[in-house]
Amino acid sequence: MASGISHTLLIAKKDLTEFYRVKPRLVTMIVFPIVLMLLFGYMFPSSGAVNHVPIAVVVQDQSPQGMQLADRFVYLAQSSGLLDVTTTDSVSWAQQQLVLNNVYAIVIFHQGIGTQLSSGGGTVEVILDQLNPTLDSAVKGEIEQIFSQMDAPASPSALNVVFQGLIPGTTGSFEFLAPGVIAMTAIIGGLSGLAMTFSRERELGTLDGLLMAPISRLSIIFGKGLAQIVRGAVSSVIVFVISVLLFDVKVYGNPLLMILVLFEGILAFTGMGMLATSFVSDQESAQLIMLMIQFPMIFLSGALFPLLQLPWWLRMISYILPLTYVVSAFRAEMVLNAPFSAIAPEVYGLAIFTVVVFALAVPMFQRAVTK
Amino acid sequence: MSYAVETENLTKAFNGFIAVNGVSIRVRRGSIFGLLGPNGAGKSTFLRMICTLLRPTAGRAIVEGHDVVREPNEVRKAIGVVQEKLLLYPVLTAQENLELFGRLYGVPESEMRHKVRELLEEVKLWGFRDKPVGTFSSGMRQRLNIVRALMHDPRLVILDEPTNALDPQSVRWVRDYVKKLKERGLTVIVTTHDMHEAEELSEDLAIMDRGHVLEVGPVQELKSKYNAHTVEDVFLKLTGRELRDELSGRISAKGWR
Repeated sequence: MASGISHTLLIAKKDLTEFYRVKPRLVTMIVFPIVLMLLFGYMFPSSGAVNHVPIAVVVQDQSPQGMQLADRFVYLAQSSGLLDVTTTDSVSWAQQQLVLNNVYAIVIFHQGIGTQLSSGGGTVEVILDQLNPTLDSAVKGEIEQIFSQMDAPASPSALNVVFQGLIPGTTGSFEFLAPGVIAMTAIIGGLSGLAMTFSRERELGTLDGLLMAPISRLSIIFGKGLAQIVRGAVSSVIVFVISVLLFDVKVYGNPLLMILVLFEGILAFTGMGMLATSFVSDQESAQLIMLMIQFPMIFLSGALFPLLQLPWWLRMISYILPLTYVVSAFRAEMVLNAPFSAIAPEVYGLAIFTVVVFALAVPMFQRAVTK
Repeated sequence: MSYAVETENLTKAFNGFIAVNGVSIRVRRGSIFGLLGPNGAGKSTFLRMICTLLRPTAGRAIVEGHDVVREPNEVRKAIGVVQEKLLLYPVLTAQENLELFGRLYGVPESEMRHKVRELLEEVKLWGFRDKPVGTFSSGMRQRLNIVRALMHDPRLVILDEPTNALDPQSVRWVRDYVKKLKERGLTVIVTTHDMHEAEELSEDLAIMDRGHVLEVGPVQELKSKYNAHTVEDVFLKLTGRELRDELSGRISAKGWR
């Protein structure tokens, strides 16, 4: 066991030394996340064609007047074409859906609003999704317009609509973008780095040198995986620091949960990289396969723009991509300080996915190197 | 008589293609054993099974008393392998390469420095110990590649075309060094396409073609048996003079494999 760990560390150190010595690779590791952040930070589109945005309507007032008010709002919202409404009587359930990005706003008709209306006024609370300012602004405008059209049972002037978010202050594009780019940068190393290092060693012939050493094959696999995890973590830290220092991104989440989600993501994608490596023997093929896996994943995972902007069929694909869950959980934690219970499905799902991927990848890889 | 390598009907098939077909040979301890054959004869596949890199499809191989399938790590500790491709990391220095493999083979840290210095001085590379191997000439790389395989004091050294693409001075050095290894009591298996080299180095020879061993025995006996003056004559009598224009291998994304 102890020798297995020391061999693992030895191989990780060797891989990192190699990585450090080849300057273009080192420069790429540092420059790529910087370019990505600057590029998307300044060029992220300010508008998007979205419709059928899911929102939750919480109806706590069961009085006839309160029910009528809520029904009228739901009718107008559904008719707008922009919003899809789910009604509930639980604020906490609706907030959890907001954190998980299942809904983008919550409209709350509090207990007693019917009575307040009888007295000539009432307050409706609207909690907005703060992950994407573009979407926020479109949803807010639509809700304001709906309330301005209300004629019964309350006139627009009788209703006071209060907008707020889950976290204090206002958020910008980078609150949405930064967690996505951090998660994306972290996993790219795990996914492509491992495939590249194995295929490079195969081409050079040096993989045979490792395979002929009297050490466990698992030490080779995990040593190389560990080197990729370190690379992914370094890249993530660079993006994180730039986000906070240059783009004023506020971090509200629990650091341990953020690290947990990111670590799971890196591990899952290192496993995927290992699985893919079992099928390729040269660097060029590895690069092409990784490009084919990475490219759609980057754009379909919700890392760079809301999934709502995608047509439904592309959104279906995004739901089977593991990166989608890394991004949504990491974003919910970093920006919205989601409690563990809110991101637990993603955390457990990724853990199961990682175990399954490694259970497939390790024997397949072993078979691939000892045919 | 004890043998460093004993194989019985060793066979390897890839998707129905039999690369090595029922090979049975014995390599005497402390001898230099030449393994000859045209391209595609199955030499490399045979050696990869001996080195535990490939699992035999059938038959068995005992290396230094250990079964290659059941005790691969014991076999790995007993052998030092010099492949045609360098088993060296170009961005690591000469010293780092040797230390890496020393540690992988369990050389004690207390002996590491002394061992590295001894081997680098032996191949006249101590002065270049801090230089990345990628900056070395072909001859320097191959010298380092050979001593890399000796870091853990193996009992059997396998050299796959060790003089390929080297200048005459380096070729001379490698051949003399192989003889020194024998003088130290090590067993050496060497493959080569250079018949003069095979004749100069080998005490026993095996000639393979199309996966089979065509002949095996002491060099002098083989020459007498085939009434030949040289190993090259024996080789050509057994394998023929026709050119082997066969398609082999696969085309990778980079072109050559």
